[in-house]
Amino acid sequence: MCGIAGIIYRGSAKQRCLSLDLMKLLQPLESRGPDSCGVGLYGESMAFDQLKMILRTEEQVVLEDLWDWLLPFASGLEFKPVGQDSHSYRVVLWWQDPDYFDLGAFKRALAQNFPQIHLMSVGQQLEIYKEVGPVQGLIHKYGLEEFKGSHGIGHTRMATESVVDTYHSHPFTSGFDLSIVHNGQISNYYRLRSVLERRGMVFETDNDSEAIAHYLNDQFLQEKSLEEALHRLLKDLDGTYTFLVATEDKMALVRDKFAAKPAMIYESPEMVAIASEYHCLLNLEGFDSTAAIREPDAGEINIWSRQEFSLKRAREARKVVSNL
Amino acid sequence: MKEPSVSEQTIVHEVTLDCAPLSTREINQQLKALAAEGLQTINILNPAGRHNLAVGVTEPVKIQFQGPVGSYCGGLAENVNLEIFGACGWSLGENLMLGDILVHGHASSNAGASAHGGTIRILGNAGPRAGISLKGATLLVTGNVGYGAAFMMQQGCLIVCGNVGPNLADSIYDGSIFVGGAVDSLGADARFEPLSEADWNLLTRELAAVGLVAQDYDFKKVVCAKELYHFKAKDWAKWKDAY
Repeated sequence: MCGIAGIIYRGSAKQRCLSLDLMKLLQPLESRGPDSCGVGLYGESMAFDQLKMILRTEEQVVLEDLWDWLLPFASGLEFKPVGQDSHSYRVVLWWQDPDYFDLGAFKRALAQNFPQIHLMSVGQQLEIYKEVGPVQGLIHKYGLEEFKGSHGIGHTRMATESVVDTYHSHPFTSGFDLSIVHNGQISNYYRLRSVLERRGMVFETDNDSEAIAHYLNDQFLQEKSLEEALHRLLKDLDGTYTFLVATEDKMALVRDKFAAKPAMIYESPEMVAIASEYHCLLNLEGFDSTAAIREPDAGEINIWSRQEFSLKRAREARKVVSNL
Repeated sequence: MKEPSVSEQTIVHEVTLDCAPLSTREINQQLKALAAEGLQTINILNPAGRHNLAVGVTEPVKIQFQGPVGSYCGGLAENVNLEIFGACGWSLGENLMLGDILVHGHASSNAGASAHGGTIRILGNAGPRAGISLKGATLLVTGNVGYGAAFMMQQGCLIVCGNVGPNLADSIYDGSIFVGGAVDSLGADARFEPLSEADWNLLTRELAAVGLVAQDYDFKKVVCAKELYHFKAKDWAKWKDAY
C-alpha cells in the first residue's frame, strides 16, 4: 500500500496554498504509507533563461567548492539553503548558453565531482522534497507552509521492494519539470530497467517506481506527447499501478487494467484533486460537497492541463533542455 | 429505590451515533454493545468515508449510515440490516453471512466479495470485480458494473440491471448471473443460458424490492459452462487464457 495525491488548480484558485492543500490530502494517507513521504510542487515559473534545482547533500560540503564548480555552467547563480538541517539547497542557474543545457552531462559531472550531492529536481517550476517520516514534518522542515503553485503531487510510502530512505521515496523525476508518484508494483521492472538503461537512462535507486519516470522521459525525448507516452505505457508496463504524473503544464492519473490500486477524483470549480481514498478529499479546506467525485475505471488515463499556462515559454525551454 | 412501572419506562428503540469524535474501533464496539442491548435502529452520522464500519456485527439490528462509507463496510456481518445513504469504498459486505445491505449510491471495487448469504442491493453502479468469489449471497446492482464481475463465483446470484464490463464470470464454478444491459465479454468457462420461468419469477421478486420491474429489462442469464471442471488436454487453450 502507498498513498498518492495530486492537485491542479483552475484559474480562479490562484490564492490557494498548494503545499497546505496537498498536506491536507496526504495526511490521512499516512495510514497507507507510514514510512516516508514526499511532494513535487510546481511553483512560479522561472524566466526562460533560468533553471531551478533542488540539491541535497548527505554530508556537509564546502559550499565555496560547490559554488566554484557550478559557476562555469551558469552566467549567474543564486544559492539558498532550504530546510532546517542545512542539507538542502535551492539553486537558481542563469544559463550561460541559453540555447543549450546538457542535463545528462551536468548530472554525470555532478556525480563525479560531488558524489554526496543528489539532484532532487530540476526545471523551471518543479521542486521535489521528500523525507522519511510524516507529512507535517516534511512541510515544516523545508518551510513549505506558504508554497503557492499551480499544481503538485504527493506520496506516502509503505515500502514493499526497496530500502526506506530519502532517495527511495517518491516523487521520482527523470527530466526537466517531470515528477511521478506511484502506488503499486511493476512486475516487469528488471526488463524495463535494462531496456531504458540501454537507451541511456541513468537509474539512481532500485525502487521500481523510478522506472516510470525514466520511461516517460524517454518517450518525451522521442518527441512523444504525454498522451501518447501514457497510452504506450499502459501496454509496456506490467503489474499493478495507479500513478500520478506531473509536467510543466499537466497532471495525469493512470490506472492499470486490473484497477488494483485505488484513486478518487474530485472536480470542483476551483480545482481537480486526486487522492487514494475518498475521506482524504473531505479534509480539503472548503470541500465542495456538490463537486463531482468519481473513481477512474480500469485502464483509464486522465489528463488535466493548466488553463492559463503559456506553452510558448515552456516550449522554448523544452527545446533547449531536451538534448539530454 | 422503587422500580419504575412499565408505563413509566421509556423503551429506547432508536439511537443516534455521531462518528466524528470516535475512533473506528469505538464506533464498532458501540454498535455491537447497542445491538446487544436490543436497540432496533442505530442512526450513524458523519461516517465520512471511514473504513471497516459495522464489521463483524452479528445482532439483528438496523444500522443507517447518513453519508458515504469507506472500504469493508458490513464485512463479516450476520443478521444485520444496513442502509447506506451515500457511496461505498472497496469490498462492501465482504464475507457477509446473512442480512441485508442497501446502498443509495455507488460502490467501488469488490462489492459483495465472498459473501456467503444475505442480500446486497446497490442502487447505483459497482466497480470492478463485483461479486468476486460470491458464495451464496444475492448481489443486485441497478446500474453498471466494471470488469471481472463474479470472478470465481461459487454460489448465489448476481443481478445487474445495467451493463457489465469485460470478462464477466471468469472461472465461475456455479450460481446464476442476470444482466439487463450489454455484456462486454464473458470470461473463461462462462456461457449464456435461456431464462426459465423460475428465473423471471426470481428477477421479478428481487427487482420489486427496489421498485423496479424485471420485464423492463432484456435480461440475459450467464452460468458456468462446466467445461473446465476436469482438465482435458484438448482444452489447453481455455486454461491458458483463464486468469
